[in-house]
Amino acid sequence: MTQPAEPVGAGNRIITAGYDGPWSGLPGLPNLPPAAAVLVADNTEAVRAVWQAATTPRETLVAASTRVGDEQAQGFRESGLAVVRAGQVEPALTEREPEVGRVWLLTSGSTGRPKQVAHTLESLTTVAGDPPPRTWLCPYATGAYAWWQVVTLSLSLPGQDVLFIEPSELDRWPKMALDAGVTAASGTPTFWRQALFRSGDVLAQLPLEQITLGGEPVDQAILTRLREVYPEARISWIYASSEAGAAIVVHDGLAGFPAAWLDRETPGRPRLSIVDGELVIASSKAAEGMDAAIRTGDRAEIVDDRVLITGRIASDEINVGGSKASASKVRGVLLDHPDVEWAAVRGRKAPLVGQVVMAEVVLTEGSSTTDVELTAWCAARLPDYSVPRRLRVLPEIPIKETLKSDV
Amino acid sequence: MSTQLSRDQVRTMMAEVLSAQGKELPADDSASLETIGFRSLDFSELALRVEDEIGDELNFDAPGLRAIETIGDVLDFLEQLQTA
Repeated sequence: MTQPAEPVGAGNRIITAGYDGPWSGLPGLPNLPPAAAVLVADNTEAVRAVWQAATTPRETLVAASTRVGDEQAQGFRESGLAVVRAGQVEPALTEREPEVGRVWLLTSGSTGRPKQVAHTLESLTTVAGDPPPRTWLCPYATGAYAWWQVVTLSLSLPGQDVLFIEPSELDRWPKMALDAGVTAASGTPTFWRQALFRSGDVLAQLPLEQITLGGEPVDQAILTRLREVYPEARISWIYASSEAGAAIVVHDGLAGFPAAWLDRETPGRPRLSIVDGELVIASSKAAEGMDAAIRTGDRAEIVDDRVLITGRIASDEINVGGSKASASKVRGVLLDHPDVEWAAVRGRKAPLVGQVVMAEVVLTEGSSTTDVELTAWCAARLPDYSVPRRLRVLPEIPIKETLKSDV
Repeated sequence: MSTQLSRDQVRTMMAEVLSAQGKELPADDSASLETIGFRSLDFSELALRVEDEIGDELNFDAPGLRAIETIGDVLDFLEQLQTA
């Protein structure tokens, strides 16, 4: 087995709760078998496993231990991966040679138990070229696709340092980012909304040059808010999935992507199309074993020459007495209200009509808008069956480990 | 433990459902639902309000839905469901 060449970004600085130094200074994990699922307690442990994967011939899965149950860990062992957890090694139950260079990812699991997807460090690296030196903030769930995006960016390009944030540090990351000299940050729209809501003052002091949003549908309201706080920053929207690889990157500050990109053949770029209202992607960065054209499960709509990703097809539809309300459309209308910071919309079982639309919202600080006013706002913009019939105003944005709100 | 709502309390909630749409609930319980524009979606909303208030799900397997034509019918029915 050949030894991988040292990554170009070996000298980049990595900051976690337990480490501050270059990738090349990270000690490996002792007793790490050549094919292992490393279930980590924190980012310090995770980056050590990554460094070992990048510099020694091996097969690796890295995931936060909180995301993996016993049954799934047993599945890893049966598939030939040793499970390494809290320094303990549970050997693989199937004996086989490691698939050298293989990196396994778990999808976010928002639709059930996380799925396992096959990549390599190369197929995970989707940023190329010669970007300016930056210190990135990485708030994503350890081992998630978006987390790997920041990790491989730092491993493969010089001058790309990373500050990793633990889930328990999410409330105070702006201050930590200020101290670490963060100039670029990547997060879900929910993450950004929560940061603007809770720490808007500190956030405005951060000298951010690059703001990246991904992982959830991005609406115009959050892009506009971030543009107000950071008039000079480059604001990018990335559509990526573990299965398709990073597929769409837009920097013009507008929600969605130009409709002209649909059905276009460009060498080295994925081909994007809409089939029955669903975004379909053919990508060279796709995970192994995927079809040439991947049905993303995301609803895509063309509005004013832009393609908007408005939500998951499976969970978007609310059947109100036979009329189909779109949760993402209702959410969009609520987010357009100047006093609404965040909104989640879902169906609720109801007599006579099967389901009614219900919504939860968080208002901007100091707002005194009432649920009655918000209902009237929706009624003026939506058909009556789509108007939320139960509307709760929450004191703050509920957030999950994946940093995606439950919408 | 669920708490039963009085007929007056349910009537107040019914008025709230209508007032959110700019409509008024008449004092006369014999007024027809069609006249005041109280539709099945409004009834559903009212039932959910009652459910949230009493902390329990109402059992709609009970018969009698077709008989609902007036404000009084709605109040009778929700009273009956709470005790079912």
